[in-house]
Amino acid sequence: MAKPVVRKPKKKANPLKLAKIENIDYKDAALLRKFISDRGKIRARRVTGVSVQQQRLIATAVKNAREMALLPYSSSAR
Amino acid sequence: MRQYELMVILDPEIDDRSAQPALEKFLTVVTKDGGTIDNLDLWGRRRLAYEIKKKPEGIYAVVNMTCEPATAKELDRQLNLSESILRTKLLRPGA
Repeated sequence: MAKPVVRKPKKKANPLKLAKIENIDYKDAALLRKFISDRGKIRARRVTGVSVQQQRLIATAVKNAREMALLPYSSSAR
Repeated sequence: MRQYELMVILDPEIDDRSAQPALEKFLTVVTKDGGTIDNLDLWGRRRLAYEIKKKPEGIYAVVNMTCEPATAKELDRQLNLSESILRTKLLRPGA
Protein backbone atom coordinates (compact mmCIF):
# COMPACT_ATOMS: atom_id res chain seq x y z
CA MET A 1 0.00 0.00 0.00
CA ALA A 2 1.34 3.34 -1.01
CA LYS A 3 2.04 5.72 1.76
CA PRO A 4 0.14 9.02 1.54
CA VAL A 5 2.56 11.75 0.69
CA VAL A 6 2.77 14.21 3.54
CA ARG A 7 3.73 17.58 2.13
CA LYS A 8 5.08 20.14 4.44
CA PRO A 9 4.00 23.57 3.26
CA LYS A 10 6.86 25.90 2.73
CA LYS A 11 6.84 28.77 5.18
CA LYS A 12 6.57 32.14 3.56
CA ALA A 13 8.81 35.05 4.41
CA ASN A 14 7.01 37.72 6.35
CA PRO A 15 6.57 40.58 3.86
CA LEU A 16 6.20 43.24 6.57
CA LYS A 17 9.39 42.21 8.27
CA LEU A 18 11.20 42.26 4.95
CA ALA A 19 9.98 45.76 4.22
CA LYS A 20 10.73 46.86 7.82
CA ILE A 21 7.22 48.11 8.46
CA GLU A 22 6.31 48.24 12.12
CA ASN A 23 2.98 49.93 12.49
CA ILE A 24 0.05 49.36 10.22
CA ASP A 25 -2.03 52.45 9.62
CA TYR A 26 -5.45 52.60 8.00
CA LYS A 27 -4.38 55.82 6.21
CA ASP A 28 -1.71 53.99 4.22
CA ALA A 29 -3.99 52.70 1.48
CA ALA A 30 -1.09 51.80 -0.82
CA LEU A 31 0.30 49.35 1.74
CA LEU A 32 -3.09 47.86 2.57
CA ARG A 33 -3.80 47.26 -1.11
CA LYS A 34 -1.19 44.54 -1.02
CA PHE A 35 -3.31 42.65 1.48
CA ILE A 36 -6.59 42.72 -0.43
CA SER A 37 -7.50 40.80 -3.54
CA ASP A 38 -8.48 42.55 -6.76
CA ARG A 39 -12.09 42.01 -5.73
CA GLY A 40 -11.43 43.92 -2.53
CA LYS A 41 -11.46 40.97 -0.13
CA ILE A 42 -8.90 40.68 2.65
CA ARG A 43 -6.29 38.08 1.76
CA ALA A 44 -5.89 35.10 4.07
CA ARG A 45 -2.87 34.75 6.29
CA ARG A 46 -1.68 31.68 4.43
CA VAL A 47 -1.48 33.89 1.34
CA THR A 48 0.04 36.99 2.92
CA GLY A 49 2.45 35.18 5.23
CA VAL A 50 2.27 37.69 8.07
CA SER A 51 2.00 36.85 11.78
CA VAL A 52 -1.33 36.33 13.53
CA GLN A 53 -1.02 39.61 15.39
CA GLN A 54 -0.14 41.53 12.25
CA GLN A 55 -2.98 39.94 10.29
CA ARG A 56 -5.41 41.17 12.92
CA LEU A 57 -3.99 44.69 12.69
CA ILE A 58 -4.22 44.56 8.90
CA ALA A 59 -7.83 43.37 9.05
CA THR A 60 -8.93 46.25 11.31
CA ALA A 61 -6.92 48.73 9.26
CA VAL A 62 -8.57 47.57 6.04
CA LYS A 63 -11.99 47.83 7.64
CA ASN A 64 -11.27 51.36 8.88
CA ALA A 65 -9.95 52.35 5.46
CA ARG A 66 -13.09 50.98 3.84
CA GLU A 67 -15.27 53.11 6.08
CA MET A 68 -13.36 56.19 4.96
CA ALA A 69 -13.64 55.21 1.26
CA LEU A 70 -9.88 54.73 0.94
CA LEU A 71 -10.40 51.11 -0.06
CA PRO A 72 -13.40 49.54 -1.76
CA TYR A 73 -15.81 47.19 -0.02
CA SER A 74 -16.00 45.32 -3.28
CA SER A 75 -14.71 45.98 -6.74
CA SER A 76 -16.79 45.29 -9.79
CA ALA A 77 -13.79 43.70 -11.49
CA ARG A 78 -14.96 40.66 -13.47
CA MET B 1 -6.78 64.63 28.36
CA ARG B 2 -6.31 62.11 25.61
CA GLN B 3 -4.79 62.10 22.18
CA TYR B 4 -7.14 61.73 19.27
CA GLU B 5 -6.85 61.37 15.57
CA LEU B 6 -9.72 62.62 13.51
CA MET B 7 -10.19 62.04 9.83
CA VAL B 8 -12.76 64.11 7.99
CA ILE B 9 -14.06 63.91 4.45
CA LEU B 10 -15.41 67.27 3.36
CA ASP B 11 -17.88 67.92 0.59
CA PRO B 12 -16.04 68.37 -2.76
CA GLU B 13 -18.35 71.23 -3.69
CA ILE B 14 -16.65 73.62 -1.29
CA ASP B 15 -13.63 75.48 -2.51
CA ASP B 16 -10.18 74.02 -1.87
CA ARG B 17 -9.07 77.24 -0.22
CA SER B 18 -12.12 77.55 2.03
CA ALA B 19 -11.80 73.94 3.21
CA GLN B 20 -9.17 74.72 5.83
CA PRO B 21 -11.00 77.72 7.40
CA ALA B 22 -14.24 75.72 7.39
CA LEU B 23 -12.58 72.91 9.30
CA GLU B 24 -10.84 75.28 11.68
CA LYS B 25 -14.18 76.75 12.58
CA PHE B 26 -15.30 73.36 13.85
CA LEU B 27 -12.05 72.87 15.73
CA THR B 28 -12.59 75.99 17.85
CA VAL B 29 -14.70 73.74 20.12
CA VAL B 30 -11.51 71.94 21.10
CA THR B 31 -9.44 75.02 21.90
CA LYS B 32 -12.36 76.58 23.76
CA ASP B 33 -12.59 73.57 26.09
CA GLY B 34 -8.90 73.63 26.90
CA GLY B 35 -7.71 71.13 24.32
CA THR B 36 -5.01 71.62 21.72
CA ILE B 37 -4.79 70.98 18.00
CA ASP B 38 -1.43 69.32 17.50
CA ASN B 39 -1.49 68.92 13.75
CA LEU B 40 -3.82 69.61 10.86
CA ASP B 41 -3.01 67.81 7.65
CA LEU B 42 -5.12 68.69 4.64
CA TRP B 43 -4.71 65.94 2.07
CA GLY B 44 -6.81 67.74 -0.49
CA ARG B 45 -9.07 66.28 -3.14
CA ARG B 46 -9.04 62.52 -3.46
CA ARG B 47 -11.15 60.03 -5.35
CA LEU B 48 -13.43 57.98 -3.13
CA ALA B 49 -13.35 54.20 -3.43
CA TYR B 50 -17.13 54.34 -3.66
CA GLU B 51 -19.66 57.14 -3.87
CA ILE B 52 -20.81 58.88 -0.70
CA LYS B 53 -23.98 60.94 -1.07
CA LYS B 54 -23.63 60.47 -4.85
CA LYS B 55 -20.27 62.23 -4.83
CA PRO B 56 -17.26 60.58 -6.47
CA GLU B 57 -14.60 62.56 -4.64
CA GLY B 58 -13.97 64.30 -1.35
CA ILE B 59 -11.55 66.59 0.45
CA TYR B 60 -9.64 64.62 3.08
CA ALA B 61 -8.19 66.09 6.25
CA VAL B 62 -6.48 64.49 9.24
CA VAL B 63 -6.39 66.27 12.60
CA ASN B 64 -4.30 65.25 15.59
CA MET B 65 -5.48 66.76 18.84
CA THR B 66 -5.31 66.44 22.59
CA CYS B 67 -8.52 67.05 24.50
CA GLU B 68 -11.05 65.69 26.97
CA PRO B 69 -13.13 62.71 25.81
CA ALA B 70 -16.34 64.73 26.09
CA THR B 71 -14.91 67.46 23.86
CA ALA B 72 -13.88 64.97 21.20
CA LYS B 73 -17.33 63.42 21.26
CA GLU B 74 -18.97 66.83 20.96
CA LEU B 75 -16.75 67.77 18.00
CA ASP B 76 -17.61 64.52 16.25
CA ARG B 77 -21.31 65.15 16.87
CA GLN B 78 -21.13 68.66 15.42
CA LEU B 79 -19.22 67.45 12.37
CA ASN B 80 -21.79 64.78 11.70
CA LEU B 81 -24.60 67.32 11.89
CA SER B 82 -22.99 69.49 9.24
CA GLU B 83 -24.10 69.07 5.63
CA SER B 84 -20.65 69.90 4.27
CA ILE B 85 -19.04 66.90 5.98
CA LEU B 86 -19.40 63.58 4.19
CA ARG B 87 -17.82 61.36 6.81
CA THR B 88 -15.71 61.43 9.97
CA LYS B 89 -13.62 58.96 11.91
CA LEU B 90 -12.45 59.61 15.44
CA LEU B 91 -9.73 57.29 16.69
CA ARG B 92 -7.25 57.09 19.52
CA PRO B 93 -3.91 56.16 17.99
CA GLY B 94 -2.31 53.18 19.66
CA ALA B 95 -5.46 52.13 21.52
